[in-house]
Amino acid sequence: MVLIDDAVRFLSQIPPFQFLEGPVLRDVSKSLTMEFYPKGTVILQQDGPVSEFLRIIQKGVVKISLRPKGTGEEVVSDFRERGETFGLVSLMGGHQKTTIVAMQDTICYLLPKDRLHELMGSHPAITEYLLQFHLTKYVEMTSREIQGKSLFLGSSDRLLFTAQVGEICRPAATIVPLDATVRQTAGRMAEDRQSAALVVGSTGEPVGIVTDSDLRVKVVAKGHSIDAPVSQIMSRPVIAVDEKEPCFEVVLRMLHGNIHHVAVTRDGALCGVVTNHDFMVLQGRSPLAFSEDIEKQTNLEGLAPVSRNSLSIIGALLREGARAVNIIRIISELNDRVVRKVLEFAERDLGPPPLPYCWLALGSEGRKEQTFRTDQDNALVYADPTEEQREEVAAYFHRFAEFMRNGLVSCGFEPCPADCMASNPAWCQPLSVWRGYFSDWISAPTPKAILNSQIFFDFRPLHGDESLAWELREHLGRLIPDYPLFLGFLANMLVKNRPPIGFFGSVAVERSGEHKHGLNLKVKGVTPFVDIARLFALEQGVRLSSTMERLEALRGGSTLISDLVDELEYAFEFIALLRIHHQYRLMEEGKPIDNFIHLDSLSNLERQSLKNAFRLALKVQDQVMERYKSFII
Amino acid sequence: MSGWWRGIWGRQGVPCTGLVSEARFVVLDTELTGLDQRKDDIVSIGAVRMQGRGIEIGSAFHELVNPSAVLDGRSVVIHGITPSQLETKPPIEEVLATFMKYVAGAVLVGHCLAIDLAFLNREARRLTGSPFRNPAVDTLSLYGWLRHRIPDHPAMTVALPGLSLFELAHLFDIPVAEGHTAIGDAYITAQLFQRLLPLLLESGILDLKSLLRVGDPNRQAENLIGPGGQAHF
Repeated sequence: MVLIDDAVRFLSQIPPFQFLEGPVLRDVSKSLTMEFYPKGTVILQQDGPVSEFLRIIQKGVVKISLRPKGTGEEVVSDFRERGETFGLVSLMGGHQKTTIVAMQDTICYLLPKDRLHELMGSHPAITEYLLQFHLTKYVEMTSREIQGKSLFLGSSDRLLFTAQVGEICRPAATIVPLDATVRQTAGRMAEDRQSAALVVGSTGEPVGIVTDSDLRVKVVAKGHSIDAPVSQIMSRPVIAVDEKEPCFEVVLRMLHGNIHHVAVTRDGALCGVVTNHDFMVLQGRSPLAFSEDIEKQTNLEGLAPVSRNSLSIIGALLREGARAVNIIRIISELNDRVVRKVLEFAERDLGPPPLPYCWLALGSEGRKEQTFRTDQDNALVYADPTEEQREEVAAYFHRFAEFMRNGLVSCGFEPCPADCMASNPAWCQPLSVWRGYFSDWISAPTPKAILNSQIFFDFRPLHGDESLAWELREHLGRLIPDYPLFLGFLANMLVKNRPPIGFFGSVAVERSGEHKHGLNLKVKGVTPFVDIARLFALEQGVRLSSTMERLEALRGGSTLISDLVDELEYAFEFIALLRIHHQYRLMEEGKPIDNFIHLDSLSNLERQSLKNAFRLALKVQDQVMERYKSFII
Repeated sequence: MSGWWRGIWGRQGVPCTGLVSEARFVVLDTELTGLDQRKDDIVSIGAVRMQGRGIEIGSAFHELVNPSAVLDGRSVVIHGITPSQLETKPPIEEVLATFMKYVAGAVLVGHCLAIDLAFLNREARRLTGSPFRNPAVDTLSLYGWLRHRIPDHPAMTVALPGLSLFELAHLFDIPVAEGHTAIGDAYITAQLFQRLLPLLLESGILDLKSLLRVGDPNRQAENLIGPGGQAHF
């Protein structure tokens, strides 16, 4: 029957009904009534008759508002739209506390009270969804749904994220004892047709690895004796991973350590080896292959196209159903590699630096939260020069920073429009000057200082003498407790950026003004969570720079978000995933990459989850406001 | 039943007084082999119940009829029903008996209802000796009447459409599915009636008696042409 089919089709797309089994859903559909409310209709009236139905919006938008007793002023509490429900509280509580008005021509399906009670009795998930604001579970379902959209590749493509390394490693790599000679080792490798041999100690524990490239580089090229013990040329320590580790984690470690072979152990004993090649076979084009391509380059002309092309890996990762945080980690890792490579060229072309320096990644790059290439955000700190050296050193690092800026531009990193780059002389300074900056910003938190702190305090050493960066971090950690005013101002800034919950309410909002290009997912979606994590990390002296790491470090502590870590992580990850999908789609279509998302492009579940994420951010912001109220202007 | 008595209670015990918002309706559509009342037959009946302005999703009535007349090529194309599909279906007598129970106590609603009623009444007379006695409302009559009452409404300002159900559905933004079945059309008609009800309410049609007056299936043309005798075509 067409009426029931229509209702089933609709309900099967919207939570919580989509989680019902087919026959139950059909049965529920049969009990529905459909009503039409022209724009302006008062559907339920505050203090009026209690609702006998749960209304599910099939089309249109309603506004929920109330007039607090004693005041004449209407307070809008929410907008609901297609796929959302209303009337539940009244139905359960026996009192209509709000007024609900159709903002557009609206069609609702009405689920009778007794039928709803029955359903809630038999399906706890329905109760949970309808009665509780419980973000976690639904975000999980949503990200599954999002991933489902792009699952057009075969199941083998998902292996990287689901398989354990034990499942794909080669069981018997060539294994030689510590006292074997180079010649013996090479002979065994040739015999076994292996590109690597593991060197084991007396109890079978892996102590080193010898690869084809070791034989080439360390033996043949250098004329090393082939009768010397293999221990002289092996790479050590060998990275060993447990067979139960997900392949993905192993790939990340290989990327990070720039290694191509990893020993796989079972209960500590060697059971196999896994190579870059194994992963490539597994998934066609691996992040490792890109990393290798980057490493191979010897000049900017070669690096630029490789760097620009490396983003194509994102598509494969999305199709594999990779979690957003993992995709972001891989992107950051690849971007870091490009930056280090350009730094290497700079040091080579401009001559060795006169003093130790450290290259700092700032902002989203510092937090390792770049989705697609964003613009450059970086700074340079160098060891304090003597008075005589000062000018000469400054001149060198200035040339160095300019080389970096131009090199990175050619690799696809746009220059920062706010000039937050080391090539800006202000951000290319010796340690003592940087300490001075930090002290100034914290002791005199002007709006400009707060803005700077939001970018610079997320710094991360990317290359060079990391101790310079850690000294700065220490300095920051010592300053914060002495200047409570600074955190107050940071809190003030944070609560000003309210996620636009009303965005969901009315299409009109989206069509004009602030959201006419859609919702800015970076500013209104990502930033509130980043700011929340930064505020509490600074408050608690957490020295990590990424949002996820900061949240993890705050788990179980005494801050007001310590119990909300799960929810915050899920919300943050969900928004990140939405953003990556959006940007990937733009990239595929050859359009410029932006952060503007339109409601029409989201499924009901995505909208609900996004809305829940916003509600969570608002809730935390309200608590922040309460805590720092004396500073909130 | 005298005219006075009927005015209060209507036919078949359906009260003609009371509020529109509390009335029970059956919105129906029939598919026919053709329009010749002497030769043609009912192929299927589709209907949905409404309580006030609410369409009851689980209430649909849909029966295909084994017709006595041979289907001609034209209607086969329109309905997408082939004669072999109908051979196994119950005869009109059976379907009509069920349908009469289904509509008991309800006001009948349809688009160009007079045609459907003519066929339904012919069969009812043959079967029981009397026609359907339910009060009846035509959505086209209602639409025609509203065009003169609220000429500024967006759905009324357009040049008079082809008057088909689908033209009106389009004007009121009602989704029209592919295909053409009695139940599908009845559902569209119900949604059209649902859109017209609040407009009628605004124009002062609050009670059933007024609704029956302005929605009289025999006043389609009169309503559309309007009081000045001028067609707003």
